[in-house]
Amino acid sequence: MVKVISEAEYGQVQECPLAVLDFSATWCGPCKMIAPILEKLSEEMKGKVGFFKTDVDASPGLAARFGIQNIPTLVILKNGEEAGREMGFKPEPLLRSILEGYLN
Amino acid sequence: MKRYDIAIIGTGPAGLEAALTAQARNRSLLLIGPDGLSPKISKADSIRNYLGLPDVSGPAMRAAFLEHLESAGIRITGGQVKNIYAMGDYFAVQTGGIDSMYEAETLILATGLPLSKGLPGEDRFLGRGVSYCATCDAALYRGKKTAVIGYTPKEEGEADFLSELADEVLYFPQYSGDVRTAPAVKVIREKPVEIAGEKSARILKTDGGEYETDGIFILRETIAPDKLMPGLELEGNHVKVGPRMETNIPGCFAAGDITGPPYQYIKAAGQGNVAALSAAAFLAAKQKQ
Ligand SMILES: Cc1cc2nc3c(=O)[nH]c(=O)nc-3n(C[C@H](O)[C@H](O)[C@H](O)COP(=O)(O)OP(=O)(O)OC[C@H]3O[C@@H](n4cnc5c(N)ncnc54)[C@H](O)[C@@H]3O)c2cc1C
Repeated sequence: MVKVISEAEYGQVQECPLAVLDFSATWCGPCKMIAPILEKLSEEMKGKVGFFKTDVDASPGLAARFGIQNIPTLVILKNGEEAGREMGFKPEPLLRSILEGYLN
Repeated sequence: MKRYDIAIIGTGPAGLEAALTAQARNRSLLLIGPDGLSPKISKADSIRNYLGLPDVSGPAMRAAFLEHLESAGIRITGGQVKNIYAMGDYFAVQTGGIDSMYEAETLILATGLPLSKGLPGEDRFLGRGVSYCATCDAALYRGKKTAVIGYTPKEEGEADFLSELADEVLYFPQYSGDVRTAPAVKVIREKPVEIAGEKSARILKTDGGEYETDGIFILRETIAPDKLMPGLELEGNHVKVGPRMETNIPGCFAAGDITGPPYQYIKAAGQGNVAALSAAAFLAAKQKQ
């Protein structure tokens, strides 16, 4: 499951050894299309990677803190520290292999 | 939402022949591109090497193609595709905002010769202040300063749309002739030469000056294939295809100038034919499973 969080709930992301935080918005096409892919990967990687999602319009502070300028942006965090980011839509096999890269 | 069997992007000889072949195979099809057909058809002076049309002018070839489409009952959905998403078992095709989406089981890319080089800085800042679609990304620039580089008069509408949200819209038309934009849009007749910035695009340099902005929209008739469809494998700036016109993404095929030289009408049409047959075979195999 991808957990939708507000700014105040950001602490949950930091508690994960490995987390993916998806910055998205309701009006954004590629965000809508990547959502089911993230949902599927979150099931596959259950227990290994925490998946979170936040709306840039609802959490402008969080978006500003990460300097988000394009959505979707996936920020990958290891123990609460940014380890990398991916911008824009990615097909499922490509996204899977990118995220697996962080697991090793 | 209706899911088409085959979505074909581009209305040059490659896309048109793919549509005729798909139709002959009784497949439901969506053909998207300029409804006046590819500008490369109408612009040619005289063509001497197209079978069945000896020494034909571009406009006459265009008329013959349109007549052929009409007799086959094929309709063109006018417009430009901004994004294509490979969803695994289908493709989503976006032509504007979030509501302008189409779905298809298979896809044929026939968008013609890819642009060889963008502006310096364009690639680096794409997604970080550089965008190819005003209607898709306008909401990010509410109250901000933006620049729009338009390569055809069609883009004037995009600049107008943006001006309803953004604080400032500078419009740089890259064509001659009249420009009709909303009063809030400031028209500047200069040629962009570079996009500069640190973390994100901040400055548009032109042959006449430098402009500070929060976002730069580059609106061309063609979008590089791997930007149009993330995940697509290229060879140089062309789409990499196998002998059946298949790309690295299952169910996605490509035909015509987009696949590399030689650049010829009849070759483009031939590849469009192969791509549509391959798409039909792909669909048949999928339905058997
Ligand atoms: C002046 C001139 C003369 C030529 N003379 C000859 C000749 O005599 N003989 C010969 O064999 N060849 C000739 N050519 C080459 C020929 O024009 C091309 O090889 C041929 O048009 C390629 O066809 P195509 O279908 O692959 O692409 P194109 O004809 O380029 O068609 C691409 C189509 O895709 C559309 N498109 C692009 N991006 C998008 C998008 N994002 N969404 C929707 N639609 C999109 C375009 O608008 C266009 O309709 C000539 C070319 C030129 C410019």
